[in-house]
Amino acid sequence: MTLRQRLQRQLNLLDYALATLWRRKLKNFGIVVVFTVVVFLFGSLQLMNRGLTEAAEAILKGAPDITVQQMSAGRQVSLHQTAGEEIEKILGVAKVVPRIWGYHFDEANGANYTIVGMNHDGQLSPLAEGRYPETGSSGEVVISREVQKSLDLGSRLSFSLFRPDLSMKSCTTVGMFGTHTGPVTADTIFMTMADARDLFQLGPHLITDLLVYVANPREIDNIAGKIASKIPGSRVITRSQIMKTYNVVYSWRSGFGGICLLASLVAFVILAYDRASGLSREDLREMGILKILGWQVGEVMAVRFWESVVVSFTAFLLGYGFAWVHVVWWQGMLFQPLMLGWSVLRPEFRFVPSFVPADLLLLFSVSVLPYLAATVVPAWKSGMVRPDTVI
Amino acid sequence: MRPSAALGIWALLVVVAGGILATRIAEKRAAIAGWEESRNVVEAFGLSDLAVTTEARYTRHPAVTDPLVPFMDHPGGLEHFPSGSFSAPVQP
Repeated sequence: MTLRQRLQRQLNLLDYALATLWRRKLKNFGIVVVFTVVVFLFGSLQLMNRGLTEAAEAILKGAPDITVQQMSAGRQVSLHQTAGEEIEKILGVAKVVPRIWGYHFDEANGANYTIVGMNHDGQLSPLAEGRYPETGSSGEVVISREVQKSLDLGSRLSFSLFRPDLSMKSCTTVGMFGTHTGPVTADTIFMTMADARDLFQLGPHLITDLLVYVANPREIDNIAGKIASKIPGSRVITRSQIMKTYNVVYSWRSGFGGICLLASLVAFVILAYDRASGLSREDLREMGILKILGWQVGEVMAVRFWESVVVSFTAFLLGYGFAWVHVVWWQGMLFQPLMLGWSVLRPEFRFVPSFVPADLLLLFSVSVLPYLAATVVPAWKSGMVRPDTVI
Repeated sequence: MRPSAALGIWALLVVVAGGILATRIAEKRAAIAGWEESRNVVEAFGLSDLAVTTEARYTRHPAVTDPLVPFMDHPGGLEHFPSGSFSAPVQP
């Protein structure tokens, strides 16, 4: 048999399989719908995770080389500013920047703000609106649109935050972060270090952490080790560790989401097996007639195989297409509530996943292949039907 | 028309739709120059995390918290924030 004849034969079998599918359109439509939903859910989760990981990788490239924090009894505590002087003595350290940061819970609206207090050296990139707080000024802050909305400021520039002793600290907005920076500044209120110290009522020489910049990037791990031994009880985090964290946190196996979807996939495979193996009297008759007409077991199995391929590929393409539209155009609206949880401040986050063939292959492997595998045994069973027992 | 020809047309439509989606993505990627702006802010303030989930300390700053932190609120404390279950635990 020539190649052309072989192809023609498969095309005829495909025609027959399509006609069979069309005859039982209601049953097959049901399977396609359920299969599409499973692929859609898996695909959406995967694309969202891909978008988040890529954003984190692109944005957090700018994170400091080393961040040093102080631990006590397993918790992070304030660090004495003199630790910075100790670190500066290490050969290879280019710059050490002290910082005060923490969380401020707004009881009025339940929002959790991140307060960052730093003294800048005047070489910062320009803000979308206004300017940065001047070192030496009092109460000047830069906020994001989300914070402005959450505080219900409207056109007002002044607002107050509670200190731990419940006295009020007045703040004046002098600048605004651009909307593009939402993924990192949505909940941030930036002020000078003196203001942050005043707001949190920290002692005069206490800071939250130290940002260490290293002249030679190859020396980062080495210097991190030296810092850890110089400051007892310190936690030293390098940029590569931050990147690694984000690669793991938003991996496709992410927590319960992945497990629930895996459970739905298993349920679907059981459904597919059940549907395919439950041969009706009509199916058996059809197989019997085909066998009498001279069809071989292999040909009957080939028809069943083509049926499974058409159903699974159609559902896969539909599901993946819907997932793409859901994540890219609708910003993953079905999963966002789960992901954002009880957050009061919700940054506007655009998912821009890039098309990664490996991801598509993974999704294909966990959806189409199990379906094809689940329909192999029923296909073989239908091929083994004895005509005299069914007609 | 043969049924397989109809299937071929459907496959072609999918490829065309995929192509349209891909070009729209290229447009979107170009439009989102905000990542650059965000990176400048991260560099300026030495930030370590994305402000995606702001509900708890460890979901706001997963990179600078210990894996144990979700259980630290009190002895026997359990992790209970929805977004905590969305992310995978980080092994040191």
